[in-house]
Amino acid sequence: METSLAVRFLSGGMNIALVLALAPLFEGILRKVTAKVQSRQGPPIWQPYYDLLKLLGKEDIESGESPAMQRFASWLSLAAILTLAVLVPMGTSPPLSGAADAYLLISILTLCGVSTMLAGLAAGSTYSLVGMSREMMSLMTLEPLLAVAVVVSVVHTRSMALDAVLNGSAYVQAGLPLAGILMLGVAIFAFQALIGRLPFDIAEAETELMDGSMVEYSGPKLALFKFTHMAKLVVYGALLVSIFAPWGSGLPAPLNLFALLAKLLLLVLVVTLVAATHARYRIDQAIRYYGGLLGLSLVALLLALYGF
Amino acid sequence: MSLLSKLKETVICLQAGRVTLPYPQEPAKPPAGFRGRPIFNIAKCIGCAGCANNCPAREILVHDICQEIRIIQYVGRRCTYCGRCADVCPEKAITMSPEFENATNDIGDMQQRLELFMGTCQRCGRCFKEPGPMEQLMMKGYRLDLLEQERWVYDAKTYLDREPTVRDIEIELG
Amino acid sequence: MSAHLALKQIAERFTPVIQRTDVPEDGRLFLYVEPQALREMCRYIFRDLDARYVVGIGLDDRPVSGKFLVAHNFAFDKEHVLCSIMTYLTGNPPRVDSISDLVPAANWSEREFRDLVGIEPVGHPYPKRLILPDGWPDGVHPLRRDYPWDAVPPDYDENRTFDFDNPPDGCVVVPFGPFHPTLDEPAHFRLYVDGEVVRGCEYRGFMVHRAIEKLGDSVLTYNEIPMAAERICGICGCVHNVAYAQAVEQAAALTIPPRARYIRTIMLEIERLHSHLLWVGLGCHVLGFDTLFMQSFRIREPIMWIAEKISGNRKTYALCVIGGVRWNITPALRSELMGVLATLEKEWRAVADAVAGDRNIQKRTRGVGVADAALVKDAGLIGPVARAAGVNIDARRDHPYAAYGDVEFSVITQQGGDVWARLLVRTLEVFESIKIIRQCLDHLPEGPLQAPIQDELPVGRVGLSSVEAPRGEAHHFVITGENNRPRRWRVRAPTYQNLQGVPAMIKDQQIADMTISLASIDPCFSCTDRMEIVDLRSGAHRVYSQEELLKLARGGTRTP
Repeated sequence: METSLAVRFLSGGMNIALVLALAPLFEGILRKVTAKVQSRQGPPIWQPYYDLLKLLGKEDIESGESPAMQRFASWLSLAAILTLAVLVPMGTSPPLSGAADAYLLISILTLCGVSTMLAGLAAGSTYSLVGMSREMMSLMTLEPLLAVAVVVSVVHTRSMALDAVLNGSAYVQAGLPLAGILMLGVAIFAFQALIGRLPFDIAEAETELMDGSMVEYSGPKLALFKFTHMAKLVVYGALLVSIFAPWGSGLPAPLNLFALLAKLLLLVLVVTLVAATHARYRIDQAIRYYGGLLGLSLVALLLALYGF
Repeated sequence: MSLLSKLKETVICLQAGRVTLPYPQEPAKPPAGFRGRPIFNIAKCIGCAGCANNCPAREILVHDICQEIRIIQYVGRRCTYCGRCADVCPEKAITMSPEFENATNDIGDMQQRLELFMGTCQRCGRCFKEPGPMEQLMMKGYRLDLLEQERWVYDAKTYLDREPTVRDIEIELG
Repeated sequence: MSAHLALKQIAERFTPVIQRTDVPEDGRLFLYVEPQALREMCRYIFRDLDARYVVGIGLDDRPVSGKFLVAHNFAFDKEHVLCSIMTYLTGNPPRVDSISDLVPAANWSEREFRDLVGIEPVGHPYPKRLILPDGWPDGVHPLRRDYPWDAVPPDYDENRTFDFDNPPDGCVVVPFGPFHPTLDEPAHFRLYVDGEVVRGCEYRGFMVHRAIEKLGDSVLTYNEIPMAAERICGICGCVHNVAYAQAVEQAAALTIPPRARYIRTIMLEIERLHSHLLWVGLGCHVLGFDTLFMQSFRIREPIMWIAEKISGNRKTYALCVIGGVRWNITPALRSELMGVLATLEKEWRAVADAVAGDRNIQKRTRGVGVADAALVKDAGLIGPVARAAGVNIDARRDHPYAAYGDVEFSVITQQGGDVWARLLVRTLEVFESIKIIRQCLDHLPEGPLQAPIQDELPVGRVGLSSVEAPRGEAHHFVITGENNRPRRWRVRAPTYQNLQGVPAMIKDQQIADMTISLASIDPCFSCTDRMEIVDLRSGAHRVYSQEELLKLARGGTRTP
């Protein structure tokens, strides 16, 4: 479907605006629900906005081994997640669907993970390097999961175009969608780790590593990283919803947007409850868990190749 | 099974409900017997300095301006609200009030200064009956603590420039 | 006659070198021996008689006898005896044979009297500074009687640093502390890390050293010291308050009224309740499980309120004076306390059931931070750490004090020796504490709260007191003195012993487990660092300009 350049830009801009506006709100809801579970009042749901504004207003201190690389890493993480936002359908079909394909999607997904690693490496302090090595171990086992999810869709639809791939295409049309259901299960169990929340927030464990990769970041740079962390919930959520649960995206605007928001809200609630009821896993336990999921996802890929 | 225990834990959490108190929007009244800021009642004080003698933080200073006037000053800076001063006061002139919101920018707000007119006695200067051997006065006679520097002075000579009426105990000062 | 039995066993072998013995009561034994026999006697008591090492004390006795004194305290738990082996040392600097190679638990005690009193333990395997800051000049020993409590040494060297060991081959140094989110107080563990595995560690602590013992023997009087003792620790303050009062009362042979004994027991158990609930919450927070942290604290809050109603403060109860207690438990308070205990028991039972089956927590705590019975014996570990390794010691039952001789309770032990076992021990001890408080409330005797003291306390008597803090045994040693204050007061907090076992516990484990292993001994660094002197008001402080501070902060991991 050919859409004019202006409509694309508008739609892309809307995606970015949506992510910028919604990510802190979902974080606020997450913190409020966590507080309710912990029998306390909790911060107002607008608190993350205040936090980000406060951080952005602070002095940009240079600390760590290579400050130039640190600045680059913080901007890169924001840029990566926002680019991902325009590749993912939020209500409408992905704005850049003609200009980008599934391969670019996978690469940008990896870039998001790499930017946090770069952050830890650039800071160069003992704790940030330990955090970076944990992040690297997690990345090596988690990114393939995402890639396989996209590839399963590619295999089913026989096309790399974004609007075809990101349209519930994990399930085959005819017969039992085995690969799709298996991938759905894997994605559900991996989601908490993909967005870096308890029990899998290992790379940034506050009580163990003094915040790991983030230890030498403060002020505006930290605001960018914090925002990326918040935005991951929205963008990865929208990505997985579009691959596995696209129902409602065919409705006329703005109903399709509301459907997406409703699904994302449900996802946030599930994520919050899991985060509130679990203790953090150790890195070796987590890697074993991811490895198991990766194995299952490869099985799903095999099934997809054979037409399931 | 782990899922069952997680569910049990969640049930415990949800049954409890919200327990956050609305302090400071609403005041929080401490229970009776709470040891807050000590209040010195000058009408009852007889100037024995038993409170100063028993304050572990040495926060109560005593200074005799002349034979008739004694100043007892509660500084309040390092006060730990232990209540020993209230325990040993023979006239029950000190009460531990329920005030706990004592944060202030100016330490002067915490000070309580009692200027007492003392009866004169020609024999020893200051002589008070101790409650017991454990609360015996460390220093007898006139006291000249430095009120501005908030420091005790352990060697007490009278302003009349005589020998100290009763030697204070040895505290190694070097 | 248990002290006499212990004396008989020792005297059989060592009669020629024993100068004097003192058995003031059934559970106390004081032996004065010749210096050259100290080592062999300590070895015999520790290994052959299987006693537990408690603490080593050095003191400057020159004003009285012209000599220095070293005491090594042991506990015969099964025979219910606390004993102190003392020896006088002549000469300056005084020297004594080190017993640390025979009794590893004495390691820190000897370094401590080396730093503070200047008694040299000859043959100590690790004679490095323990208490005094790095820049403190050599040869200046603050706990000596001729050193003023508020003096600042003129030749304090700011730029001197601690001489750490070299890391073993292939290991990287990861500094844990002094600033770390998990630690409430500063402490420095220098971890030698190979990948993610810890191969060894070196500890440099005592950064919040506060001169409490020096204040105790030169500034404060008998009844003022309980207030200072209480502030040794923010969680187990009542324990130090009671232990000091008991040590003085034992030295002066004072009997306190029975009602006071029961009230002391009740407050000590209230403190144990709040401490264990706090620990469970803290342990979960360290593991990242904030929900259980919040819930533990919610369940704990009514204990703080009832403590505030009884004593006037949530935590610093200011309970004891020499001879009794200051607060009464009225009938109204009694029924309120019973109500609090009923609710607490119900809620904690639910939490304990939920946590017992929680595999997520178990995965992080099983097999982590293991301290087996052999380490417990060698390093002298105590409290839940020892009981989790199956070693059945508890000062409440082994050396009964206050009203513990009158109540029934079980001592909880587990077998694993790991963090999970310690968590279970602490969780289950809550129910035993509730049982003890209920028994005390049911049998609370009438009577006065304080024993009237007519005369000054006798001088020169030695008192020992062991109280079971939530973390283990807290031990106080007092020698009564002139001028209404003790001559020497030595505090051995439980964490002092338990920290010495930490390097062995974290060896060959992952860094991620370091924090929970350390947290599992329930460390109370302020308890450990309670010693000696000096406000460095004019000595070491200099005002850093903002540029200098920023430069320091941006210097990365090199802290001066």
